Amino acid sequence: MLELLPPLNDHNLPWMDTIHPIVVHFVISMALIAFVFDVIGVVWRKPPLFEVSFWNLLFATGAIFVAIIFGQVEAGLAAPYGAARNILDIHTTIGWSLAGVLSLLSGWRYVLRSRDPETLPLSFLGAGSVVSALICVQVVLGDKLIWTYGLHTVKVVAAMREGLI
Amino acid sequence: MLFALAYSPQQPTIEQIAQELGSNGLPYSLPIHPNLVHLTIGLFVIAIAFDVVGAFYPLEKRVFRFLALPITRGGFHDVGWYNLLACCLVTFLTVAAGFYEMLTAVPLPGVKSTFGLGGMTTMLWHGVGGVLVLAVIVAMTVWRGFQRYAWRRDMGRQVQWIYLAVGIVMFAVIGLHGTLGAQLAAEFGVHIAADQLLQAGADLHTALP
Repeated sequence: MLELLPPLNDHNLPWMDTIHPIVVHFVISMALIAFVFDVIGVVWRKPPLFEVSFWNLLFATGAIFVAIIFGQVEAGLAAPYGAARNILDIHTTIGWSLAGVLSLLSGWRYVLRSRDPETLPLSFLGAGSVVSALICVQVVLGDKLIWTYGLHTVKVVAAMREGLI
Repeated sequence: MLFALAYSPQQPTIEQIAQELGSNGLPYSLPIHPNLVHLTIGLFVIAIAFDVVGAFYPLEKRVFRFLALPITRGGFHDVGWYNLLACCLVTFLTVAAGFYEMLTAVPLPGVKSTFGLGGMTTMLWHGVGGVLVLAVIVAMTVWRGFQRYAWRRDMGRQVQWIYLAVGIVMFAVIGLHGTLGAQLAAEFGVHIAADQLLQAGADLHTALP
């Protein structure tokens, strides 16, 4: 059965380069900018920005599921070592949780927008700040996997195949 | 004669501060540029994408009616404008952080990228390309602003077709440019602690427990 799988390259991937970090551009930037625009919209009383936030949040919510799919495949091929194993576990747990949290936030936002697109309760801003903080934690964990532990980099994959790590 | 003329610095200038840098070649543990890149790319792509959706509004409104999702054309174009404006502002920081981190970058020696380029060549393309991408983003933001507030302020479709075409061409340019940046990390090990430690001959069992 194993020979049916595509061969892995020097990044230990069946495709050219890691896709998960590309997809998360859209989760991170859309979710964070949605919160920023919500804050500006409330502080400067600019309701059109609430519409911009809504679409960004909706897009982030869609993108996180794609990010998780690629994240799971690439995590499975990452061969984490040392503390990276633990970090990858936490990153996976927060990642799945964020999919639920962002879906709930989007659902709540959909209801708020349907009732009155011109106002935003402070409780939503509060929830947005918590979710933004969670995303920042998640980004730091993901950063450690690549920038400290070098998962899926050519050098680390080569060392792994030589049995050095 | 040729050898005498060739550029051959006695000692790389990074040696002057090497003692103050961590194993990733930075005075802090995680690089900043790749994180700001999330914002630049995400905001630019979604800005153009929503202007495309706004431009094709007459075709989509029947679909959205089935989705119980009230929409306005102006709302889509608002996403296109404000996301691009945010992208324009944040990209100055992205490029600034990139140049700072490139000054202390040491690509792994003897590596050729998937594109067949060496580390220094890849950094030069990525550095010059980054400034050019910033210039285009700034120009497109000004262009977008004129369309929104002057030339097309009373029109339903807030953007010119040529603007959308330039935006989609920029997707390809940014994709290529981002691939060079990704190669600097994944292939040349720039600012990746594990790669640099392995290159220095360290045992990761003890260096990165």
